[in-house]
Amino acid sequence: MQEQLSRAEVAGASAPSGAIVHEDLSAKWFLVSAVSYFFIVGIVALVIAAKFVWPDLMGTIAPLSYGRLRPLHVNGMLFGWLLAADMGLTFYLIPRLCGVKLWSEKLGLATAGLWNVIILSAVVCLLMGWNQGLEYAELPLALDILVVVAWLMYGGNLFMTISQRKYPAMYVSIWYVMGTIVWTAFVYLTGNFAVLFTTGVNQANLNWMYVHNAVGLIFTPVGLALAYYFIPRSSNTPLYSHKLSMIGFWSLAFVYVWTGAHHMLHGPISQWLQTISIAFSVMLLIPVWAAVYNFFATMRGQWHQLRENVPLKFLMSGVVFYLLTCFQGPMHSLRAVNAIVSKTDWIPGHAHMAVLGAFSFFAIAGTYAALPKMFGKPLHSDSLANWSYWSFMMGGLGFFVTLWLGGFWQGWQWNNWAIPFIDTVVALKPVWLVRFFSGILMFLGIVLFSYNVLATALGAREQKA
Amino acid sequence: MLRKADNSASWAVAASLVLFSIGGILTTVVPPLVDSSWAKPFENSDPAKGPTGKLTQLNELQLQGRAIYVREGCWYCHTQQTRTLLADTKRSGWKGVDSPVSTPDEFVYDSPHLFGTKRTGPDLSRVGGKYDEQWHRTHFRNPRDLVQGSIMPPYPWLVENPQEFKAIVAYMQSLGRAKNWRPNEDYEQ
Repeated sequence: MQEQLSRAEVAGASAPSGAIVHEDLSAKWFLVSAVSYFFIVGIVALVIAAKFVWPDLMGTIAPLSYGRLRPLHVNGMLFGWLLAADMGLTFYLIPRLCGVKLWSEKLGLATAGLWNVIILSAVVCLLMGWNQGLEYAELPLALDILVVVAWLMYGGNLFMTISQRKYPAMYVSIWYVMGTIVWTAFVYLTGNFAVLFTTGVNQANLNWMYVHNAVGLIFTPVGLALAYYFIPRSSNTPLYSHKLSMIGFWSLAFVYVWTGAHHMLHGPISQWLQTISIAFSVMLLIPVWAAVYNFFATMRGQWHQLRENVPLKFLMSGVVFYLLTCFQGPMHSLRAVNAIVSKTDWIPGHAHMAVLGAFSFFAIAGTYAALPKMFGKPLHSDSLANWSYWSFMMGGLGFFVTLWLGGFWQGWQWNNWAIPFIDTVVALKPVWLVRFFSGILMFLGIVLFSYNVLATALGAREQKA
Repeated sequence: MLRKADNSASWAVAASLVLFSIGGILTTVVPPLVDSSWAKPFENSDPAKGPTGKLTQLNELQLQGRAIYVREGCWYCHTQQTRTLLADTKRSGWKGVDSPVSTPDEFVYDSPHLFGTKRTGPDLSRVGGKYDEQWHRTHFRNPRDLVQGSIMPPYPWLVENPQEFKAIVAYMQSLGRAKNWRPNEDYEQ
């Protein structure tokens, strides 16, 4: 197999003959922007967590009210941080898995530029209250169109790279990235354009199909692509089974899309559709356990590496959170459980374990692992990276566990209608206080992570000059 | 097919699209064709069949209020669905009368839909007619003046804008009133 290096690793010297030299410019720009948004939107996250405890905080300034900042937090984290980081890391790993350079670095840089325009415009729109009123699809139509253009640029670039690959057999990460590109296109079009032609329950059904699959068919497959690449890479161990990873991929492709209606269990939507969504929600255990077993089996005999290896710590904790969050999902789709936890604080607990605990952990791990290669120098500080892991871990656990317990508690209270609603709000105040302090720890993790990334990136530039 | 797809990007893409579209079509395109109640506005004049009433479209002022409800993100904390759970019908109920459950035919004109996913505050699917304008004025200015322990944000900029305040209240009074389920219990009476 040919040697693969980054431009920075070659650093002016002539590359060994026959080596492939990756420019990694698009990957770098996406990652640096993603990490910056992680930091900025992290501040917004802390503010809205604080508003649960002190509801009058900044309460009289319309653009800073809870209803404006919440969508900024959700969209900023999903599209500004996580999707941008995922795009950057796939620009890094797909060329390496294909044994060729990225098809067009110019196109990749243009995509990064357009993505930044979209995110910055989104911040303005959401603070002004220009909100379409549909979850995850809040952005105005003009920005939706730009997202589609950016996605075509991104997908086209990667597909051209894949079509020129040197190795005919495709590693499973390539599959998941291709799946992400194709499914995202359809899921996004449904959630942002098809919904505009419908009303009422029909629109809600399309909206939940989009919301569920934004996680299930965008962040899940690209997150798994990262995990499948970086777990064997970071542990220097081959993947346990290619066949098992295929079972996971194809069952994911078939099962995920059916489950949207489980967001409206017991609600005003046809009972038969609710039942279908429950059945397929339970079937989600198949792709999840197939992937998780593969990761655990890969690590067999290698667990001692977790002591020293920070990316591997993030990766395997992410795998455990993925297993847990995808066990919660099917379980709270069951009608009896749903009657307790639906609409409670359990839901943000569950959502944060998926998006932060699993998929952001994969992206953070990938960033820590890819950065030294892309910039051709060691990470600024391994010890800060380790501290960031423990901040994320402790903050995340505090956040998840209190919201699950609090959510169950809240649901049981709601089901006893002798308790006035306001008493169920007052009862949750300690939960929200713990959530705020856990948020501070998570934000500390973000600060340590983004400082480390930027110090490595900027330090690399100084060295050159 | 799968073996072929293992080494061919175009096969993989085609196969994953086919698998995806089976579920996609059956759960998004088919249901509204099968279930006519999704598109037929609620109308009932026979008390034996449940609450009577008729769903009407919102007037201009109410629509303006709805846009404010969307703009301020009220729907992030308030659901608009009385689910098929006894507790929901009790909590959406009023003065000892249980609320009827929400049905798809009550939301036919809604766009964007505002069913919501999170109940940080109470459900609003049947709030129309329960509290008068003066109550809403005080509550929007500072919720804690009326409800001790509430964590709802204050909305002074709505109360101080007479047109916007009139609109948001008009919209809230319209909520859940297609079904005539508590004929003598509203504040207007």
